[in-house]
Amino acid sequence: MTKPADPTLDCPIGQVECSLLQEIRGLRTEVEQLARLSQTDPLTGLFNFRYLIDALHREMERTRRTGLTTGLIMIDLDHFKYVNDIRGHQVGNRALQWCAARWLEVVRKIDVLCRFGGEEFTVILPATRLAQAVRVAERLREKLEISPLPLNPGELPLTASFGVDVFRANEELSPETFVERTDGFLLAAKNQGRNRVCYEESKVLRPATEVTPDERIAFFATRWPRE
Amino acid sequence: MMDSKGPVKLCITSGKGGVGKTSLTVNLAYALAANQKRVLIVDGDLGLANVDVLLGLSVDRTIRDVLDGGVDPAQAVAQVSAGVGVLPASSGVPELVNLGPEEQDQLGDLLTAIMVPYDYALLDTAAGIGPSVLWFNTFTDHNLVITGPDPASLTDAYALIKVLHRDYGRDRFHVVVNFVTSEREAVKIYESLAGVTHRFLNLKPAYLGGIPRDTSVIQAARSQRPFVQQSPAQPAARAVFKLAERIIELA
Repeated sequence: MTKPADPTLDCPIGQVECSLLQEIRGLRTEVEQLARLSQTDPLTGLFNFRYLIDALHREMERTRRTGLTTGLIMIDLDHFKYVNDIRGHQVGNRALQWCAARWLEVVRKIDVLCRFGGEEFTVILPATRLAQAVRVAERLREKLEISPLPLNPGELPLTASFGVDVFRANEELSPETFVERTDGFLLAAKNQGRNRVCYEESKVLRPATEVTPDERIAFFATRWPRE
Repeated sequence: MMDSKGPVKLCITSGKGGVGKTSLTVNLAYALAANQKRVLIVDGDLGLANVDVLLGLSVDRTIRDVLDGGVDPAQAVAQVSAGVGVLPASSGVPELVNLGPEEQDQLGDLLTAIMVPYDYALLDTAAGIGPSVLWFNTFTDHNLVITGPDPASLTDAYALIKVLHRDYGRDRFHVVVNFVTSEREAVKIYESLAGVTHRFLNLKPAYLGGIPRDTSVIQAARSQRPFVQQSPAQPAARAVFKLAERIIELA
C-alpha cells in the first residue's frame, strides 16, 4: 500500500525559507492553472471541446456500466453571423458570454455545459433519459428567448436551436458519432425555422421495447380457461 | 454461438418475481441428474440469492468471493449430489445487483471455465429486467421463460422476451407455465403468450411444459429438499421430469 502524497510541502530538514520548495510550490500552482486552462474556453469560461470529448467518453462508459442513458444537447445560436457582421465581433463575443452565463443559471448541477466552437454549445446530461433531456433543452431555449443581450442603447434579442439525443447501453457508438447523430437533430431544428428543440419524438413517446397498449389488450383478450 | 465443448447453457428467467424460477432451476437440475447428466446450478440473483435456501446449503463461498476475493472458482462450487453442483451467490449485497461490463466479462470467463466438466448449466436469474438479468439471459444458449397463469406474470414474461428479442436479438425461448391445474391450461396459456409474440414480434417461443399446483412443492421447500427427490411421484415432480426429458431432446 502506498500512502497518498501529502498535499502540503514540508522541508525534510525543517528549513523555513527553502527556495527549492518555493519553486516546487510555484510549479504546482502553475500546473493546476494550465490543466484548468487546457479544459476551458477562455471567452466564456465554459468547458472546451477537448473536455467535452473526455467527459463524453466517461459518461458513455458510465452508461455501459449502469444502463442509465447519457443525454446530449447540441446548441447553435440563430443568425449569429448577422450579429457579428452587423453589430461587430465585440458584441458577438459579448453575446456568447451572455448565453453561457444565462444557461449556467438553468442547467442542473450534474450537467456539463461546453462551448463546442464558434457559436455552438453542447450540454452533456449524465444519467438522463430523453424526456428529461428535452425538458432541460426547452428550459435553455426559453431562458435565452426571454433574456435579450442588453446593449447601450437598446438590446439584442437572441435565440438558439437545439438537437437532443440519448446514448443507450446497448448501442455501439463513439463520442464523436454520438455528437454527429445529435447534430442531425440540431440541423432539423434549424430547418424547421430555428428557436426550437428537435429530437426523435417516437423515442420519447414509446421506447422501442415498451409493451404497447395493443400488446396489453392482446393479453386481456385471452379467454382464461375455467377449471 | 454454441460451443461444441462445455455444457448446454439455459437461463431460467421470468420478469415477474414469485413464479417459481429458483424452484424450477433446482428441481430441473435434479431431474436432469436423474438422467445421468452432470448439472451446474448458477445462482444468478447476485443481490438476493436463494438457491442455497431451497437446498438447505450452508454457504461459505459465493460468486462474490470469487469476483472480489480471488477465491478459486472450483472451491466455490458446492457438490450437492452426485450429479449436481451449485455456484451460490450472496444475499444482501446491493452493489452486486448490477455488475459493470468488465465484471460481467470476468464473470463470463469464470463461469465458462467452471462449466467445462458439466453437461448442463442452469442459470437462475433475479426478477425484473435489470442489467444483470439481461446479461445472464444473453450469456446462455437458451432462455427458459417461466410464467404463472395470471395476466401479470404473462405480461412480464412478454415484456422480458420483447426486450431480449429487440435489443439483443435473442430468439430461442422456451416457455414453462407454472401453477396450472392441467396440461390443457398450460397449453392454453402458452398459446396466448405465443400468439402475442408471433403477432407483434414475429417470434414463436417453444412450449416446454406446464407444472401443476401441488402441495408437495411447498412441503419439500420447507424441508429444504428438491420436490423431485422428496415426492418424485407427485404431479409437480412428474411434470419436471418431463421438462428434463424435453430439454435433453433439445441438445
